[in-house]
Amino acid sequence: MEKKRLVSMLLAGVMTLSLVGCGDKTAPAGDSNAGASEAAPAADAAPAESADASADAGAADAASSDPITLKMWCIATESDSNRHAYEAAIEDMKKAHPEVTLDWEAFENESYKTKIKAAVSANEMPDIFFTWSCAFLGDFVNAGKVYCLDEAYEKYKGDLDEKMLANTTYDGKHYGVPLTMNIVGLFANMDILKEAGYEEIPGTYEDFIKCCDAIKAKGKIPFGCAGKETWCVTEYLESIIEKTAGAPALNDIFAGKATWNNEDVAASVDTFQKMINDGYFDPSGIGLKNDDVKANFMAGKYAFYMNGTWNCADFANNAEFFPKVKVGEFPVINADKSKLGQLIGGPSDTLAVAASSPNAARAADYTFELGKLICNYGYLDGCGLPAWKVTGDTSSVNQLTQDVAKIVQNSDQMVLFGDTAMSADSANTYLSYVGQVYGGKIDGKKFIENLAKDIQ
Amino acid sequence: MERDKSALQQKRKKDLNKGLTVFVFLLPGLLLFVSVLIAPIVVSLYTSMLDWNGFTQGTFIGLANFQELFTSGSINFWGALKNSLLLALFSVFIQLPLALLLALILGRKPKGERAYLTIFFMPVLISTVVIGQLWLKIYNPDYGLLNRFLELVHLEGWKHIWVGEEETALGSIIVPTIWQYVGYHMLLMYAGVKGVSTDLREAAMLDGATKWQTDRYIVIPIIKPIIRVSVIFAVTGSLKSYDLIRILTNGGPFESTEVPSTLIENMLFLRNRYGMGSTITVMLIALCFAFALLISAAFKEKDN
Amino acid sequence: MNGKKKSLIHILLVLWSITNIFPIYFMLTFSLKNNEEIFGENVLGLPRHWIWANYESALNTGNMALYFVNSLFVTAAAIGISIIAAMMATYALTRIKWKMSKLTNAMFMLGLTIPLQASIVPLYVVLSKLHWLNKYTTLIVPYSAFTLSMSILICTGFMVDIPYDLDEAATIDGCGLYGIFFKIIMPLMKPALSTVGIYAYLQCWNEFMFANCFISDSKHRTLPVGIKELSGTYTTEWGPIGAALVIATFPTLIAYVALSSKIRDSFIAGAVKG
Repeated sequence: MEKKRLVSMLLAGVMTLSLVGCGDKTAPAGDSNAGASEAAPAADAAPAESADASADAGAADAASSDPITLKMWCIATESDSNRHAYEAAIEDMKKAHPEVTLDWEAFENESYKTKIKAAVSANEMPDIFFTWSCAFLGDFVNAGKVYCLDEAYEKYKGDLDEKMLANTTYDGKHYGVPLTMNIVGLFANMDILKEAGYEEIPGTYEDFIKCCDAIKAKGKIPFGCAGKETWCVTEYLESIIEKTAGAPALNDIFAGKATWNNEDVAASVDTFQKMINDGYFDPSGIGLKNDDVKANFMAGKYAFYMNGTWNCADFANNAEFFPKVKVGEFPVINADKSKLGQLIGGPSDTLAVAASSPNAARAADYTFELGKLICNYGYLDGCGLPAWKVTGDTSSVNQLTQDVAKIVQNSDQMVLFGDTAMSADSANTYLSYVGQVYGGKIDGKKFIENLAKDIQ
Repeated sequence: MERDKSALQQKRKKDLNKGLTVFVFLLPGLLLFVSVLIAPIVVSLYTSMLDWNGFTQGTFIGLANFQELFTSGSINFWGALKNSLLLALFSVFIQLPLALLLALILGRKPKGERAYLTIFFMPVLISTVVIGQLWLKIYNPDYGLLNRFLELVHLEGWKHIWVGEEETALGSIIVPTIWQYVGYHMLLMYAGVKGVSTDLREAAMLDGATKWQTDRYIVIPIIKPIIRVSVIFAVTGSLKSYDLIRILTNGGPFESTEVPSTLIENMLFLRNRYGMGSTITVMLIALCFAFALLISAAFKEKDN
Repeated sequence: MNGKKKSLIHILLVLWSITNIFPIYFMLTFSLKNNEEIFGENVLGLPRHWIWANYESALNTGNMALYFVNSLFVTAAAIGISIIAAMMATYALTRIKWKMSKLTNAMFMLGLTIPLQASIVPLYVVLSKLHWLNKYTTLIVPYSAFTLSMSILICTGFMVDIPYDLDEAATIDGCGLYGIFFKIIMPLMKPALSTVGIYAYLQCWNEFMFANCFISDSKHRTLPVGIKELSGTYTTEWGPIGAALVIATFPTLIAYVALSSKIRDSFIAGAVKG
């Protein structure tokens, strides 16, 4: 019971934190602290029973009971950590809505991006589709291909805080149902840290560097980072930039409100490259995919692994590795501009409804209910923090995810992943230069110059 | 008079009939060809002049895409072109000579000729996706065969992260590409070699020519048309190369192995720039034609 | 001297054979091993524990059997259509005299150099407007179109070898142009079938780009895409990937070895005639 209360307290923290929206640039960005008090009551009223009841109420008036078939595309393939959450949620939905047949298909992440864009441009979308928030969904919304969820949202307001919709709100209208939210976590293999003489993840940057040196002296590699997937590099680089330049500055750059021509960004890139040159990174990483790097980390090759907190589920499922791993936050590099609690992340995994769907209104209700269930199961599985209010017994949530919740609770400001926040063209220009940074092709000065030139 | 007229009519009727027959016989082929190849190219020509993200209406911007393609710092078209030309160069100057050599040797009926022919053609039959996956396992930095082998023979210094390092990535693509299609070209040329009449060879041998001289002065000139076809296939094939690169490096590291095809995919599906994607497509088609004509011309020149 | 040269030649042939067979052997053995053996001491040897479960994973999780059948069906249908269309077109181009025949032939030959990528976007837009995605025909039609040029090229080689006297004799016997095609040309073109088939097979069986973009449901997925998806699923477990690769490769390899002399002769016929 004690634990349960702790969890719901943590969740209250999650709900209160400020999220910086991308679509609606004016609304939620400013109220970084104001949100805390107003959201608290909502969080208090989150016991399991009431939430269940309201979901049922939503189901009852979810339009007619004519049998329909809805098509859904997502990326929860067999190997995805979210797979179980989807399966369980869909099973529940089958029972709750026997009149709806859900015909769903999961695709590998990379080819999915190709597929969904092609489908959108050809007006051949499934009724419900998985999407990333901000710019990715924004392109589809601008083209008028996405069904507006404002009406349906009214029914689920009680279970889903409007702040969680910030990343999928465009011109004040809501278009996405968020699932889980994640941040970049600094995962540490405590066995290796202990070997190097550290009981905890060092809290200051100086200690952190010393720790890395100690790890190196023990013949271990501090970091693993997959160079074949550039988003993995951004998990490191964005954290370093944020802890150097500060979250507000980084957010403005991502949002296009400030120029890339920022000395702190250049300095961060140089910091990152110094770490690489000092041998803190596995040189093989450049030729590896994320799955390989993750496997290496779990096999004890690296001391640290910076990546999304969705990994908690996989770590928790590995009985041998789980006791060794801890999660923390990257230390502050420039205390004048940044502080602890400035994080990279936010709700990004989203379900949306196609405007072209013949049953769009019913699909919208269905999506909200399904999203809520996926979020719930996903959280219980440790795939991330819930965007929805959680129902049921949460005491089984793994310690790692609870630690993440604690970090998020104490957070000050979150900046969404750069490649999600920026438009497709800019994001890929950005990724291409981040890749060049990791490969040592360009330095910090060149990085900011090129980006300032190429992204207007 | 009357007779002439009716003959003329009959001829006309016959011509019409013939025309109709030609049309009927061409119809299936034309239908396929025009709808799948010609029409899309015409459409691409138009969309190459659009600023279009694929979702909304595009805006006509004339040749601005072409201009950006040649000048942009973040769209590495020249690099992509250079890579595919390098691939073509290796194909023409390493793959084809190797194929020719094997074809000439096998043309002399050595022991086990049939077995060798069978074996050399095997990689051609394997799907490129399979070949890519297989070579990924060979190149894997930690557990791959290549690095393991180098360890075994104490050449640790030669170990590389083959597909991850800029210096080795392109080479890592070129090797399996060449490897896979040597058999294809070999068999084409072998067919030519076998077509050279034995009388001609024997006559040359009687005149005191060695086997190599016979090959050089009799066989190769005769199979020149086949070599020309091989060269055209090798060059245009290199310009079009996609599957292996997609699987082995996906254009990386740092876009050092980008080729026009991966660039097109990048524009279409990652950057939502359908207009620019079409622009690169148009350039690619133009280049393929240009090289095919150039090679044909070069062979003609030589003949004269 | 001569003996030395001969042995040198044989060494070259054997070496090249090894480089050709070795990757296939490597694939076969690692498909039956677990990661410990592949990553550990037994990299190259025969598997110590034969792990047939890898094949089970590939067949069950990876659906390889279904994808194999799909690929087979799509390829066979595309080859069939391509052959019929090519035969008819070649007949009109080579055996009937008309003004534009040379030009039309040249147009068809342009297809040899057109990259597949050229039509992917426009085609996708059109196919989806016609609600023609996710069907077998979605792939069959473009595949037969892209193999058409090669098929016509090869058919031309074969057809010009058929004596023109036969046509004339048939005309005198009262045969029309259709009659000549069905009664005289078709039966004599039988040897061309296998040649065209092999070249078309090489183009269709491996095709990845169209299959990846045009087919989104797993029911109609073909082998190359299936393998790509599976390797995304089992990035760190090599065994099941190996098994999938073997499933994708060995049936054709075995068929090829069994029929190799016939296949080779047909391929060679294409090279000479084309």
